[in-house]
Amino acid sequence: MKPSVEILIEQYRNNLYVMAFSVCKNAQDAEDVVQDTFIQYWSQKKEFESEQHIRAWLIRVAINKAKNKRNTFFRRNALPLEDYVQTLTFESKDSSVLFETVMNLPEKYRIVIHLFYYEDYSVKEIAGILRITQSNVKVRLSRGRLLLRDTLKEGWEYDE
Amino acid sequence: MTNREKYKKAFSAVYPSDEFSWEVEKMKKIRKQHIYKTMAASIVGCIVFMGSVTAAYAMDVGGIQRTIQLWIQGDCTNATIEFNGDGSYEIEYTDNEGNTGHRAGGGIAIEADGSERPVSEEEIMEELTMPEVEYKEDGSVWVYWFDQKVDITDKFEDGVCYVKLVKGEETLYMTVKYKDGYAVHPNKYASPDKW
Repeated sequence: MKPSVEILIEQYRNNLYVMAFSVCKNAQDAEDVVQDTFIQYWSQKKEFESEQHIRAWLIRVAINKAKNKRNTFFRRNALPLEDYVQTLTFESKDSSVLFETVMNLPEKYRIVIHLFYYEDYSVKEIAGILRITQSNVKVRLSRGRLLLRDTLKEGWEYDE
Repeated sequence: MTNREKYKKAFSAVYPSDEFSWEVEKMKKIRKQHIYKTMAASIVGCIVFMGSVTAAYAMDVGGIQRTIQLWIQGDCTNATIEFNGDGSYEIEYTDNEGNTGHRAGGGIAIEADGSERPVSEEEIMEELTMPEVEYKEDGSVWVYWFDQKVDITDKFEDGVCYVKLVKGEETLYMTVKYKDGYAVHPNKYASPDKW
């Protein structure tokens, strides 16, 4: 199966944008990543087995592209994350603090945390997307949770 | 409220800007432009300036324009590069088939004290002579450096590959982490744990 890119854009653009942003921490770069991801989908002949397969593929590609963008020596004259956060409208102070705490996690924990809590992926599914072992995912998830708990205190429950 | 609900609520504040175009045709056009803006990843550059240094002051844009030879994925092209004075640059080149292409980029440097500044022309030129790693859609991985093209697809072990590049008397020891950046050093392989 290969649905039209227009359908996928409607369906996944926000999620991919948030995923990309959580990796590269820059709004413009995240938008570039999402566009590149959809263009890659649109321009290749790959067939997919299911909607889940498509979603996982899009997320994997977006993560890899965001990592590549972040790793380039040159990058845009980026708006610092702190300044960008000021432009966002959070429903509460707690949400703002949680967002900033997550964004300050080491990347390898941040990505796994995001896939688990935002994308609702299981440990097994995250392992498949990131191409790492399930035990590795569990370790990252556990350490990420601990770091969140250390900062957020009662704002983050024990949920292991 | 569960952690998952809190998390989703917090990240619901993040979404793409309204100006962002989602029309595929526009995306294709924009992509061509911003590939360049996001930088030199696809450019390995400049062996020598044409003649000595052919520099001209471009009064209309206020930048310094120079003619250079630019290596793009192993092919040498003639190009003009214009430094805009704010860490950004624009390149126009003609490939071996006579097609004209445009690229642009720019960046910042982070000082030891954490402050940021626009990169200098020298730093841009230095970056343009760095090797490039390309991850092709067929899964193969290539390193380009001047006229050299090296297939490193099967050289990765535990996600890390070591490549020695030699050009005349110059040697570069390159450590490549699969889809996670690379480091070069003139004397030894950089440890992948360093970044």
